Amino acid sequence: MASFIQLLVSGLATGAIYALIAVGFTLLWQTSQTINFAQGEFVMLPAFFVLAAMNAGAPFWMAGLIGIALSILILGILFKVIIVDPMLKYGVLPLVISTIALSLFLKESAKDLYSSQAQPFPALVPAVDIHVFDAVVSTQSLAVLAVAIVTVVALNLLLNSTRVGRQMQATAQNPTLARILGVPVKRMVLYTFLLNAVLVAIASILISPIYLAKFTNGETLGIAAFIAAIIGGFNQVRGAILGGVILGVLDNLSAAYISSQYRGALPLIILIIVILLRPQGLLGRVEERSV
Amino acid sequence: MTAVLEVSNMRKTFGGIVAVDDVSFEVRAGEILGIIGPNGSGKSTLFNCVLGQLQPSAGDVRIEGNLTTGMRPCDLNRLGVSRTFQLLQVFPQLSVRDNLILAGQEHQGSMASRLFGQPDAGLSGDAARMIEFFRLSHLADEQAGSLSYGQQKLLDAAMAFMAGPRLVLLDEPAGGVNLTMLGQLRERLHAYHAERNATFVVIEHQMEFVMALCTRVLVLAEGRIIAEGKPQDIRRNPIVIEAYLGH
Amino acid sequence: MTRFGWLLVALAAVAAVAAPFFLKPFGIFLISTWVVQTIAAIGLNLTLGYAGQISLAQGAFVGIGAYTVALLTPLGVPFLVAFAAAGLLCFAVGWVLGYPALRVQHHYLAFVTLAFTTLVFLVLRNEEWLTNGIYGITGTPRPNLFGWKTGGARDFYFLCLGVLALLSVATWWMLRSPWGRAFVALRENPIRALSLGLDTRRYTLMAFAIGSSLGGFAGALYAPLVQFIEPNSFSLGLSFNLLLMVIVGGSGNFFGPFVGALIAVLLPEWLRITQGYYLIVYAAAVMVMMAFCPAGVLGLAERAVLLLRRGSKVAGAIP
Repeated sequence: MASFIQLLVSGLATGAIYALIAVGFTLLWQTSQTINFAQGEFVMLPAFFVLAAMNAGAPFWMAGLIGIALSILILGILFKVIIVDPMLKYGVLPLVISTIALSLFLKESAKDLYSSQAQPFPALVPAVDIHVFDAVVSTQSLAVLAVAIVTVVALNLLLNSTRVGRQMQATAQNPTLARILGVPVKRMVLYTFLLNAVLVAIASILISPIYLAKFTNGETLGIAAFIAAIIGGFNQVRGAILGGVILGVLDNLSAAYISSQYRGALPLIILIIVILLRPQGLLGRVEERSV
Repeated sequence: MTAVLEVSNMRKTFGGIVAVDDVSFEVRAGEILGIIGPNGSGKSTLFNCVLGQLQPSAGDVRIEGNLTTGMRPCDLNRLGVSRTFQLLQVFPQLSVRDNLILAGQEHQGSMASRLFGQPDAGLSGDAARMIEFFRLSHLADEQAGSLSYGQQKLLDAAMAFMAGPRLVLLDEPAGGVNLTMLGQLRERLHAYHAERNATFVVIEHQMEFVMALCTRVLVLAEGRIIAEGKPQDIRRNPIVIEAYLGH
Repeated sequence: MTRFGWLLVALAAVAAVAAPFFLKPFGIFLISTWVVQTIAAIGLNLTLGYAGQISLAQGAFVGIGAYTVALLTPLGVPFLVAFAAAGLLCFAVGWVLGYPALRVQHHYLAFVTLAFTTLVFLVLRNEEWLTNGIYGITGTPRPNLFGWKTGGARDFYFLCLGVLALLSVATWWMLRSPWGRAFVALRENPIRALSLGLDTRRYTLMAFAIGSSLGGFAGALYAPLVQFIEPNSFSLGLSFNLLLMVIVGGSGNFFGPFVGALIAVLLPEWLRITQGYYLIVYAAAVMVMMAFCPAGVLGLAERAVLLLRRGSKVAGAIP
């Protein structure tokens, strides 16, 4: 039971991080038809921004802010302006292929321009073990969980209780209708990209202490994001959060109870099952059939 | 005698908006039914629900007595239902002849025969006849994308007729066509209708086209049927006039 | 295709047949690799260029084909049978994968194939009793076909070239048939295609299954070519490489895969000057290409030819 609680807590922590990544991914898809295959690398990269800033002498908290700022600039604005906007006129397919090429580009860049070795990454809080009901829970997990939950709550507040947030939602649900209703759609789409950049940066800072900053992180994190988004329902932000949490918990539980050789297999099998049996995901609406 | 097309209590909502509200009507064999109405009255949505392009929120569609609600457009087409599109939908890269062969090939044989049989699926003759019927002979080998707008409209209609459908739904066939072409188009539609005893349902804005072509007219406004009858009666109906002027 | 185009193709064919007589063994190995990768790329081109679906599993199918042959031939199964089995198995797996994934939109096939490739890699790596795990399988014999021993580099190259020729002709036949017309239709305008009775789902599924089987055939040749296969060769990286090959060559163009595979095989050699940064350069080049010329190298060539023709017309018109 004790170890179950441990796994649950660390699973929720990982799940919350997956949720952040999946939400950004879903928002990008909803508002601008961008299937960002480089989302995993988007999470891998900001950690290197932070490390580089620290190497230049900045303290961790400042490096973190610099990392987020660089993320907004490069993974938000530059990504949109240089890659997405010019591509959209050719349709979804060329854009998806560009993001596939981009994921390769970012991965190789991190490897060649920084390091191919896994880099240790400072944790948010010093790792101390707390005893809860006979279970040993690390403060790190709790801190990650806390930050992630705060971010998710803030995200929800932003999207549901602010005018800008509701406009973003409207743009996500139905851009044409939103435009007719006077929502500045182009600006909302830009905000979505910026929001995604912030979310991936936070996710990066939270997950790198656990996974270490490695150029290959993008592969697993990317797949996790896609699976979480699909499980939750491709067209629902709430679904992405739910999918991320479910995935994180299942992933951690399976690590304990399934052979480590097949550790990464469970999310993949879940993905295939979901697509087979309930392609709209847990919370998604059944899509209008247009083909 | 069963109606060729029967729509019962069709309803379609998008979020909070009701595009089609409890629409029911019948189309009898040999009729040319016109559906008119101001912009936003739900005509195209209704069409798309009948044709399987959209899933209706409620209601049924029956083709010659068979329930077809929500059937995929390709299956409907193989039942003998065909359509033209409001926005031009020919295949610009293919030649006129290839467009027509494409329009007919899925009604011949099987996937296997299409792979191992003749490259033209045995349809060169039919395609040639259709080209002649629509007076496009001089353009047979031209790329469809290089035709004029009016000629593409004729090709669009030809493609819809290629498989010899019994029921054809035409979505604004007159849109954007100049007067001379319009006359030719209407005349060809009449000719096809007479020759094959086909049944047409036509959405149109252009009143003259509807009056000249249709045997019966339905008027839609805000998703509901507000009037029905012969073209000349509809034209004088005060409710209809109000609906158009009110918008 | 213009007469000039066919002339180029004929010249290339002659070059392909003559090349091994002028190359050292490593050179012959390189062009054999080009042939095998072209076969896999032709398959992916069917899925991506003709049916418009993204498959990230072509690398896995090459792997399945390779392991099928590597495991069957030492048991005494004739190469031709193992070869056919590789293709059939990949066709079946492709069908099973594609059937549910293609019912939905949003390029779900991309995600399913992504997951599938990773799963295949895990199975290949972990099930040592079958695949020998990370230690791989060595020494897959090159076949003896009706008395023709293909053990030598040149002979095996000609076997590969022969297979490529056969599969190319078969693909050309398919694209000339009503199926080819159907592919154009479902790529250009799937809504219109549906309204004409074209079952877009079935055609897409067939393109994907056939494309996957071509990956299997490529793998079946790959095992005896390199004579050492291990799971890492067939991971996501290979799928990405094949995808980029198809794109760079010109997706949807019949000869695209040939060009794309050639570039991919020669690129590491050419970019040796960039000292191993070649993947970054390659990826960046692909992004630039997608922005300006999504039709790839052959698309660029077509544009250039059009410009030249227009220019010569104008020049000819001036007295």
